[in-house]
Amino acid sequence: MDLDTVKERAGPREFGPGDDMPEEYRKAATRMIQFHANSEIMGAYLEKPFIRQSPSLDRKLAFSAKTQDEIGHGQLLYRAAESLGVKTREQMLDELAAGEGKFLNCFHYPMTEWQETPMIAFFVDGAAMRRQATLKRTSWEPYAHAMDKICFEEGFHIKHGEDIMRELATGSKRGQELLQEAFEEWWPRILQFFGPTDDDSTHHDFSADVGLKRMGNDELRQAFLNAYIPKAEKYGLEIPEKPRIVEEDGTYEVIEEDLDWEEFFTVAKNEYPSGREQINGRKEAQEAVAWVRKSLDDWEHAGTAGASTQRAAD
Amino acid sequence: MIWEVFRQEQAGEYHTHCGNVHAPDREMALTFAQIQHGRRKPTHSLWVVPQPEVSEVDDEAATFGGTTDKSYRWVMPYNRVDPEFAEEIAESEAEQRDADEQRSEG
Ligand SMILES: [Fe+2]
Ligand SMILES: [Fe+2]
Repeated sequence: MDLDTVKERAGPREFGPGDDMPEEYRKAATRMIQFHANSEIMGAYLEKPFIRQSPSLDRKLAFSAKTQDEIGHGQLLYRAAESLGVKTREQMLDELAAGEGKFLNCFHYPMTEWQETPMIAFFVDGAAMRRQATLKRTSWEPYAHAMDKICFEEGFHIKHGEDIMRELATGSKRGQELLQEAFEEWWPRILQFFGPTDDDSTHHDFSADVGLKRMGNDELRQAFLNAYIPKAEKYGLEIPEKPRIVEEDGTYEVIEEDLDWEEFFTVAKNEYPSGREQINGRKEAQEAVAWVRKSLDDWEHAGTAGASTQRAAD
Repeated sequence: MIWEVFRQEQAGEYHTHCGNVHAPDREMALTFAQIQHGRRKPTHSLWVVPQPEVSEVDDEAATFGGTTDKSYRWVMPYNRVDPEFAEEIAESEAEQRDADEQRSEG
């Protein structure tokens, strides 16, 4: 299929492994889905310590379920990316370990305190969910199918995250103060989730032209702020003065120059110190369980693993 | 040989099982599948899979969803927060409530 045909046909769930897609499409889709998959995995590693650090059994169970979900989302997405025929899952996991795989800005920062958990589990998952809902209509069918399952599950993550925030916001004075502190620390990063405003780039955005992306960053950021600023206020959180957010006719505009874009791009290049630590931490875990993958591979290649090796008569 | 048939109604949807055909080879299985399963119901694509290649586990052999109370991994118990503030969260909530209802009917 040539690129013009792709652009013409680029409707929701339009293309799949059975279609002969041009290299530009397959590469752009791989880049996008691999980034998404990496982010699920790195997010899970950030939250994993809270299975242990949860203050109650309920929270502990929920955090273990959520972390398991996120790893599952990563696996689903690596499958969707693999189906483009550009990279294997193993390659993508190795790239992540080598510090070459890119992932969401928010997962490059350390999270150590319980009061910080709603910043990820409510705000970041919420921002991700806003984007993911639009990706149910992406043109790469396996990606859209992964979104069906992910969006089904995410409702629990966000409600759980909000419930932690509710508990803290209605609890002790000290708890409220710590929540506000966490919010002030994370808020600029959350605002940067959708990247710099893309006024100039939207019209020449390849992934939008071929239907991989359905909504620009500006629109997504706007929808996110409309829903989540009132939530923050509802729980008594004070929106920091900087970065300035201008409200006009019920929409919010972030003053970009108030955000630290140098830090953002350092993070994006995997060069931020805490991000490097996160990457290396996961790399060690990947190495520690190499024997599991190896024994599965050996078993598969020995040809004894259950599946009938006899081909059906063709 | 028996071939299981999966039909996809429209591009982008899921292939779902719709029956099987008896055919001597793959090519004829595809032809028979078209005749039996692709004519009246809207069809975008059909898959045929040799029946011996399909493995099964059912609810007699397995307890799907586990044996312990796992309500903490559903939206329902978190009822002190309201999902309606964002369309996509409300939708996820509705899907989970549906699935849970269907499970308990089964
Ligand atoms: Fe996820
Ligand atoms: Fe999540």
